[in-house]
Amino acid sequence: MFDYNDLSLKIGLEIHQQLSSKKLFCNCSTKFEENKLDIEFSRKLRAVAGETGNIDAAAQFEESKNREFIYHGYKDEYCLIDCDEQPPNEINQDALITALSLCKLLKLNIPDEIQVMRKIITDGSACSSFQRTALIGYESKDSYLETSQGKVRITSLCLEEDACKIEKVEQGRVYYSLSRQGIPLIELRTEPDIKNPEHAKETAEKLGLILRSFSSILRGIGTIRQDVNLSIKNGNRVEIKGFQELRMMPKIIDYEIQRQVNIIKQGKKVEKEVRKANENGTTSFLRPLPGSSRMYPDTDIPQILITNELLRKTKIPELIEDKINNLRKKYDLSFELASEIIKNGINFEYYATKFNKISYGLSSSILINNIKDKKENLEFVFENLNSGKITKDVVDEILNDLKNGNNINLSKYKGINDEDLEIEIKKLINEKKELSVNALMGILMSKYRGKIDGKKLIELINKNKK
Amino acid sequence: MKKINENFGDIVEIFIQEKKFTGTLIPSVNKNIVVLKLDSGYNLGIKKNKIKKINLIKKYSEKKDAVQEIVHKKNLPTISILHTGGTIASKVNYEIGAVSSKFTNEEILAMFPEIKNTANIDSRLLSNMFSEDMRFSHYNLIAKEIEKETKKNIKGIIITHGTDTIHYTSAALSFILQDIKVPVILVGSQRSSDRGSSDSELNLLCAVNFIVNSDFSGVGICMHEDLNDKICLIFPGLKTRKMHSSRRDAFKAVNSLSIARVHKDGKIEYLSNYKKSNNKKLQLKLINEKLKIGILKIHPNMFVNEIKNYSKFDGLIIEGTGMGHMPINEVDKFTKEHKLILKEISKISKRIPVIMTTQAIFGNINMNVYSTGRKLIESGVLGNYCDMTSETAFIKLAWLLSNYPKNKVKELITKNLNGEISENLGKEFLD
Repeated sequence: MFDYNDLSLKIGLEIHQQLSSKKLFCNCSTKFEENKLDIEFSRKLRAVAGETGNIDAAAQFEESKNREFIYHGYKDEYCLIDCDEQPPNEINQDALITALSLCKLLKLNIPDEIQVMRKIITDGSACSSFQRTALIGYESKDSYLETSQGKVRITSLCLEEDACKIEKVEQGRVYYSLSRQGIPLIELRTEPDIKNPEHAKETAEKLGLILRSFSSILRGIGTIRQDVNLSIKNGNRVEIKGFQELRMMPKIIDYEIQRQVNIIKQGKKVEKEVRKANENGTTSFLRPLPGSSRMYPDTDIPQILITNELLRKTKIPELIEDKINNLRKKYDLSFELASEIIKNGINFEYYATKFNKISYGLSSSILINNIKDKKENLEFVFENLNSGKITKDVVDEILNDLKNGNNINLSKYKGINDEDLEIEIKKLINEKKELSVNALMGILMSKYRGKIDGKKLIELINKNKK
Repeated sequence: MKKINENFGDIVEIFIQEKKFTGTLIPSVNKNIVVLKLDSGYNLGIKKNKIKKINLIKKYSEKKDAVQEIVHKKNLPTISILHTGGTIASKVNYEIGAVSSKFTNEEILAMFPEIKNTANIDSRLLSNMFSEDMRFSHYNLIAKEIEKETKKNIKGIIITHGTDTIHYTSAALSFILQDIKVPVILVGSQRSSDRGSSDSELNLLCAVNFIVNSDFSGVGICMHEDLNDKICLIFPGLKTRKMHSSRRDAFKAVNSLSIARVHKDGKIEYLSNYKKSNNKKLQLKLINEKLKIGILKIHPNMFVNEIKNYSKFDGLIIEGTGMGHMPINEVDKFTKEHKLILKEISKISKRIPVIMTTQAIFGNINMNVYSTGRKLIESGVLGNYCDMTSETAFIKLAWLLSNYPKNKVKELITKNLNGEISENLGKEFLD
């Protein structure tokens, strides 16, 4: 489609991953269910001079909209700290240790002292008008990701507060929920080493797998978010936010490249801006790209000295990629089966050891295909498979009957051995010579549904009906 | 350890091991750490002993804001703004980490441009301090400066003040400024002005609007009504208290209504009667700066020495339990200390005025309901039937001792002079 080299395409990624347990600067939970509305209040925000004395461009832009921000606090999911009515507590130690562990894993350098900063945000999505963020790790010569298209250097790792979720927009008013605000967020940033849209997707996937190796991360929709920074020759840096699905990433990047190419062709200037990734594969304008003078120290939080004691608490988990490879090796599984087992958190070791007469391939596919079934039902099926009382063909039927609470009579599922089956086929052909192969199949399949293999049946019919 | 010759604000290159950082030097609280503000905006702490080399890239030069001189508009009233410090007036120069004072007319209007359409301002700095550091001397100083301002053609005065003790200052000014003919409004802020979510803007704008549009005279405090950035209340100077350590609606009127609700657009709803501006002459009745007044909070398991501590004081406020009680009853073998406490209270009450208030905060003192109270009255403890807050009683006692003979003080302390004691209590309470 494009010659990306010729376009001097530069792509960098920012990955945001939420952490579990408690919010970053208070003891509110990160569960984010929004069940019971507890408080509503209204705020006006204004742009203020940042650390270098300049009012930030992005901040000013938002203020010019002069909107009223209405915040909703849901029971157990907000506190006065989220309402900007109480100064923050100490930084959540679990989140800090997870961030430090990630730095070690990614071979990022860790500063001797960490300063929590206030990043100015005046679109209302942070009730205090700033997001707290701290640089936990910075680039070293070894901090890179190995990909199929070469090294992608990792620039930095920051630990920050997530912002409010927007609820609705009315004329002059924006409604926000406080439940998400303050959830710890890991921000990973890469250098613009990514060569093309598919490469961006691969890099995002790899970083996602690394993050998911940690037990302390939140899982589910919206817990990981990707931003793409890109520029082309004669263009300008544009940030694309809000990718709903990773598989859409290459298409959206290509759309954005096309958009910039068109602008440049018309002799116009590509603006530095933040754009939204739309579900239909396009992008749309969100706001101008914020300048650099949007951060100043959070004077409510003392500097954090990174002591050896703190570093000793870091733990690097076994990586998902390693887990998949180990499983493949040990049980001779395909990559797909092994990765499904690991991603779904299936305890394969248990089934493989306890029911060792079943082939590993069969065990793994049963477990993956029936991930939502109760453990006791799965065990029942494995037990009977292992002892040869049932065949693999009736597994689904038994599990279905168990789910529906039906009584299980094993004889009902009993299979028929090949010799008996062949006798029956011969008998049937002799009795009803007029029947076609298909008609014979129909009769026998409905009689032995799930208990015989269709392929074998057709072989036997063909063999006997000459 | 590497000696750092460069100054804060300088842009430098720092070399450690394989790595080079470029950024601005920022003051560090830890003397072994150098703090650098990187281009990304983040601050990074580096141990001094790791630094191999520092190169100066660019010397710091303080940016002078383009100052536009403000000319007073003839058709607008003028308000004097006197700054005493606290969150509302603080402005940090983050480039070098120093606190700079933004108190000139130009700087205030640059921070709060909306004022321009409502009033001219005359802004100046009296002191830049945390309000917990205030002493009686500061009350006198502020009062004298207010007196100077009233000689100009002004519509009213705003005092910016730290919130922690703003209600002590408002009480002091309420007594010192006898027959003040203009509004004196104290304004604080619970979130500093350097953040976009600061409450200072609404508090200041509402104070300006109230002064311009009201015929109120006397001392009030202007702070948020609730968590919304919409309406402020004007609280009575003598019957208000900080009731929350951090919320923007921390202030509540105690045993009283607020004076008015002020909307951001300038609309005023009066909630109670108030003194109107008059043509009387302002008279200052200052507080004797040498006076020692104590406040003693009553608690279980007290010892007589806690009262003896105040034997050399000039007056004592007892913040009693409930309607005005303290442990003075010997009821069993464990309470022998209480007999000593009662003896000491009788002794000290003969020498200095001892006033009872309630740590329940709301409600009044009635020392006739239980025998404990009656024993305290007999011992000479004053304040029965009063509903002054401990803070107001503290200031009033100091002010009375400064301006009246002792026997008169004992008479006036329980008399309502300026609205500090309610005639009766209504439904007003924390809602």
